[in-house]
Amino acid sequence: MNLVAIKSAIDALSAPTISFTILTVIFPFIFPPSDWFEKIHRKTGLWRMWTKPGGVIGMILITAFFVIGYFDPYFNKTLTKADNFPIVLMIYSMWFYIWLGMFKAYRNDIRIEQGLKPEEYNDPDDKVLVWPDLVYIEFICLILFQVFLIVWSILVAAPIEEPANPAATPNPSKAPWYFLGLQEMLVYYDPWIAGVLLPTFIIVGLMAIPYMDINKKGDGYYSFKERRVGMFIFMYGWVVLWLFLIIIGTFFRGPNWNFFGPFEYWDTHKVEALTNVNLSEILWVKWLNQGLPSNILIREGLGFVITGLYLFVLPVILAKTYLKDMYAAYGPTRFVSLMTFGLVMLALPIKMYLRWIFNLQYIIAIPEWFFNI
Amino acid sequence: MFKNDERYWDINLLNKWFAISSVVFLVVMVWVFIDDNDDEFKEYQKEFRKLQIEVTKEKLNEEQSLVDGKSEEYELELARAIKLFDDKSEEVEKINSELGELRAGFYKNNLKFKGEKAELDVLKFKLESANLKGGSESDVVRKEYKEKSSAFNELKVIKEQFEIDIASREKKIKSLKADIKAVKDERDKILKKVDLAQNRLTSLDRSNMSFMNKLGDIVRDLPILDFMDPYYKVKQTVVKDVLYDVNFTAMPAVDRCTSCHLGIANPDFKDAEQPYTTHPDLDLYLTSKSPHPEESFGCTSCHSGRSRGTSFLSSAHTPNTPEQKKEWKEKYDWKPVKHWLQPMLPTRYTQASCFKCHQNTSDLAGAEKINLGLTLIDRSGCNGCHVSANWESKGKSGPDLRKLNEKSHPEWVAKWIKNPRAFRYNTRMPHVFEQANQEKPNIAKRNVTEIASITHYLFEGKEVKNSKNPSKYLGDPSNGQKLFSAVGCMGCHVKEQDPSLAPQTTTFKELTKLQGPNLIGMGSKVTPEWLFNWLKKPHEYMPSTRMPDLRLSDSDARDITAYLYDNKNYDFDQLDAPEADIEVLDELTLDWLMKMNPEKYAIEKASNMSKDEKMSFVGEKSIRHYGCYGCHNIDGFMDAKPIGVEITQEGSKPVDKFDFGLYHDIPHTIHDWIENKLRTPRIYDRGKESEPLDLLRMPNFHFTEEEIEAVTMAVLSFNTDKVGEPLLAHNKVPDYNKEGHRLVKKYNCQGCHLIENRGGQLVEQIGAPEYAPPNLHSQGRKTNPNWLIKFFNNPMTVRPNLQVRMPSYHQISDKEWDTIIKYFQSIDDENTGYRAPHQFASSSSKFKAGEKVHELGACNNCHFYGTEFPTQVASTWAPNLALTKERLNPEWVVDWLREPQTIMPGTKMPAPYLPTPDVLETDDAVETWGRDLVKLKGNQEAMLEGLRDYMWNIKGKVDISAEIKEYFDENGYDFSDGSEDYDDEDDWDDEDW
Repeated sequence: MNLVAIKSAIDALSAPTISFTILTVIFPFIFPPSDWFEKIHRKTGLWRMWTKPGGVIGMILITAFFVIGYFDPYFNKTLTKADNFPIVLMIYSMWFYIWLGMFKAYRNDIRIEQGLKPEEYNDPDDKVLVWPDLVYIEFICLILFQVFLIVWSILVAAPIEEPANPAATPNPSKAPWYFLGLQEMLVYYDPWIAGVLLPTFIIVGLMAIPYMDINKKGDGYYSFKERRVGMFIFMYGWVVLWLFLIIIGTFFRGPNWNFFGPFEYWDTHKVEALTNVNLSEILWVKWLNQGLPSNILIREGLGFVITGLYLFVLPVILAKTYLKDMYAAYGPTRFVSLMTFGLVMLALPIKMYLRWIFNLQYIIAIPEWFFNI
Repeated sequence: MFKNDERYWDINLLNKWFAISSVVFLVVMVWVFIDDNDDEFKEYQKEFRKLQIEVTKEKLNEEQSLVDGKSEEYELELARAIKLFDDKSEEVEKINSELGELRAGFYKNNLKFKGEKAELDVLKFKLESANLKGGSESDVVRKEYKEKSSAFNELKVIKEQFEIDIASREKKIKSLKADIKAVKDERDKILKKVDLAQNRLTSLDRSNMSFMNKLGDIVRDLPILDFMDPYYKVKQTVVKDVLYDVNFTAMPAVDRCTSCHLGIANPDFKDAEQPYTTHPDLDLYLTSKSPHPEESFGCTSCHSGRSRGTSFLSSAHTPNTPEQKKEWKEKYDWKPVKHWLQPMLPTRYTQASCFKCHQNTSDLAGAEKINLGLTLIDRSGCNGCHVSANWESKGKSGPDLRKLNEKSHPEWVAKWIKNPRAFRYNTRMPHVFEQANQEKPNIAKRNVTEIASITHYLFEGKEVKNSKNPSKYLGDPSNGQKLFSAVGCMGCHVKEQDPSLAPQTTTFKELTKLQGPNLIGMGSKVTPEWLFNWLKKPHEYMPSTRMPDLRLSDSDARDITAYLYDNKNYDFDQLDAPEADIEVLDELTLDWLMKMNPEKYAIEKASNMSKDEKMSFVGEKSIRHYGCYGCHNIDGFMDAKPIGVEITQEGSKPVDKFDFGLYHDIPHTIHDWIENKLRTPRIYDRGKESEPLDLLRMPNFHFTEEEIEAVTMAVLSFNTDKVGEPLLAHNKVPDYNKEGHRLVKKYNCQGCHLIENRGGQLVEQIGAPEYAPPNLHSQGRKTNPNWLIKFFNNPMTVRPNLQVRMPSYHQISDKEWDTIIKYFQSIDDENTGYRAPHQFASSSSKFKAGEKVHELGACNNCHFYGTEFPTQVASTWAPNLALTKERLNPEWVVDWLREPQTIMPGTKMPAPYLPTPDVLETDDAVETWGRDLVKLKGNQEAMLEGLRDYMWNIKGKVDISAEIKEYFDENGYDFSDGSEDYDDEDDWDDEDW
């Protein structure tokens, strides 16, 4: 297999449909939320990711990708853009800190299994002084970070562009790197959802975690097994629905926000068919073979029903059946909050797949009121 | 070392980390300073300083050699004077000691004086307050004030005495030193330039500095301290009237170019390399005396680029040639600056910037290339399709086709549309068909049918006129040939079969020869009847034509018709005329119908159309599609909208708004896009799968490379660059000047006449200036505007010896003539519109003296006096003097008589002989020169005025055109008796017509 074949394979695999699906499918095997997944996790050796050799291999793979990319004429252009430097850093640090956390968690899991205390545990009188143990280290870090920022600013010029011209917008028009995940969401949701509602939910949700979390274990030390479902859900939201979307937005979105593999030429002329339809159109035109009803609420009735079912009925059903124990343990308030945040988070991948599979534009489409879901 | 069992971390380890990070931080801080201070421009400035030292040393040597030896002489003299002064040291010392005492005395008394003055002022105030109150207090105070006042006066006298004494001592010392000063002054005067160079060198060259200066010179450029007065610094000009548009506001340009281009305004560096070399044209640019001083124009107003850049790359230089690009890549690692919308113009396009401030002229001195570009835009009719608000179209550039049936026949027209150059190799008619994107067989077939349909449309419902008896309009071709070159046809036309001899449209002069078409192959193109009528009355066939009426007699017109009709293009005649293919016609009809109708209706409509209907339908659509009406008047298209993109701001359009097509072999710059578009108009269709009606349509003008560059330049100049009011040169010129100038260009006046020292190519065709149309130098001052507008409307014979004649422009309105006259006047700073008749006293001795001068001058040798013919032969004939009072302005006539050659170089008019004062003082002067001339005492100006007044008194018939015509009809224009003229005649015959 030569390099060209590898490159085109990576190009093909990195299409959002494929890469997102792969990530979603293997995610539970990497962060197994249940025993069944755990079994396969062990059997396939995926657990070795969180060992020292696993960490090193991860680093090597990431580096190899960037090295190949650096020498590729097309990827080089995106990779060496001053704007994208933070994302390269982000990928490294993301891997390192996830690995570090998981590495320590697995070590503690073994200790706990053996009936030992976690690594971080010394004795009940254990204390650490703020000065010098904390502040001194912080001060040293501060100096070193300062050094890093200065060197960065000397070596890489600020990515400033021409004066903003309303008549000539850049193509692709990209948000700052940390917002590229949000911009990617805009592909699937209306601005008021992708740009306002979802970010608000993310912030509020993150703040709410301590209040919704009733698991007393894993406090003050790393552990995976003791809170594996929580970890799985958080990691999915953080790594797949946030970081991965940033990476897609940065490296894989070219002119006209078309998808381009990392080693593909960003051809402005590339045309992609955009044949999205709304749920109401599928219902009335495709299935019922008639025109759209003029009454908006009747027209979008099915969409309202589905959305209602998803947000309001599904939690109730779950509370009575599958998540009965959980409902009992959490109580109604915690359960409802948890469900709300969870379902909204889950709505993103659901909508992505609906788009990819059915070309579904909106479940509820009322452009007359600027209300589209 | 203390024990730290309470601590979690090893403090020594942390200390080590702290130490290491601090050192790293320090290193980085040093790096920051280096990075901040090693700007590229400083390197250039250091290099330039060396160059300056060299140049200054050279200059110093030069100046020194000029005053060779004198310097030492003066030093010796100075030493002698100093010695003399020193000899009187005893005296000087005495005076000095006196001076010391006196000054001390003055100081003391002056102090007292000031104190007293202050107290006196207080008393004065008190007195005034007491006065106000009234009462007895004022008397007391007044007394006190008076006492104080007299004490104060005493002090004043003492103080002044000291001042007088001091001044006298100082004067004494000065007089003792006078010798030294005189020697010194003289030395300074002689050695001023040497000293200047020396001083300059001292301020530049460290090795010439004193230790402290050297130290200062180093310190002033140290980091942080260099905020005060560094030697190496960014040099910038804020140009408040040249604005850089940042979309929501416009900022004044801040030009820092001279930070590296240090010798740009200094003629000493004209041989230096870039970036130090001198600007090639300091008379026109940069210097404060030039019309474009640096402080008000800067650099980027003309050159564009990133004005604030202080390095080679950041200032957005653009290479002019691929070689230069390569060189820069090697030398500077050059690449285009991203995100900068106005990179520097390649040097070949710098003139594009002239247009910013000099709009509305295509005759800007020194900007030949953009002149050519704008002229080509006018002539090629670019504006017919591409509207440009700042360079509006002045009428359609092609002929009116509404009466085409009278002129030509359909076969010729169809063949012509298909391939104009097959008929006339240098035609301005562009090639619409047989272009790069029309090579596919189906497209080519469609094109042939389109051509046939267009032709059909043009002739539809009109009878082609083929006169039964063409010989009625054909005279003697050989006489026609003579007339063609004699009456002035060649002011605008050539008739040249050989492409290598044809005028090239690259200079202004050559361009005037091609105002009208190259008149070859007329026998294949037009009917004799049309040609005859056209020559007689062009405006009757086409009211908007620029072709004037030469007032040809029927026989002259027949002769010229015969001469032109004799020339046929046999190769062209043998070509097959494009004919419509019925299947293709159906396809075209359907395509066009489907543009406006659903397919079903389109088919239905098409099936109801006859072939003729289809032809005229497709013809109409094709004319609209290809925009033929951009240059031609065609029935049914008189108000049609132009088909091309508006180019008013083309030069500022972002590059990504240009469609470079699918290929990536053309550099993505605006000028490269335009160049390639002009060279191969359909180039951006390469590789595209377009429907036939979606293909690019711009026709091919077959521009030469030079013309492409010129037109590209003109298009680049149509931009949004903002320039402040004070710099807009075109606003300083009155509108009638601009308009008049464009009219003069439109009707090609400069084909025959020299106007503003440009044009007049017909002189070369005719041979001698005295037989050619007059040079219009000083025309604005020369003629009476009232007469001139009459003349324009109905030209009469002014210069009887000319065979070439001023044509009648029936198509020019009085308003336009008025504009032209005002334009002439504005050239000469003349603005009198109406004039009272010139007043003079025929009894004055000035007048009588003029009469005498006139008698001596024998003006009647050449000049007509009404119907009275001159005494000499026709070749020397000159204007009718009875016309003068009506035609000329009296002030101008005096100037003319004084020096005819300066006003009209090459004229045969001699300045009249005027007796000088010494001649008039001889004893028999009165006898020889007459009483009145002698009375003027040699005042030549008065003599000229007298002569002028005399001329105003000449009576006789004013318009003698008929008499002159009669004479020449009888005798012909054969001037062979004059030997010089004979040669000219010979020249004409030699030319290969």
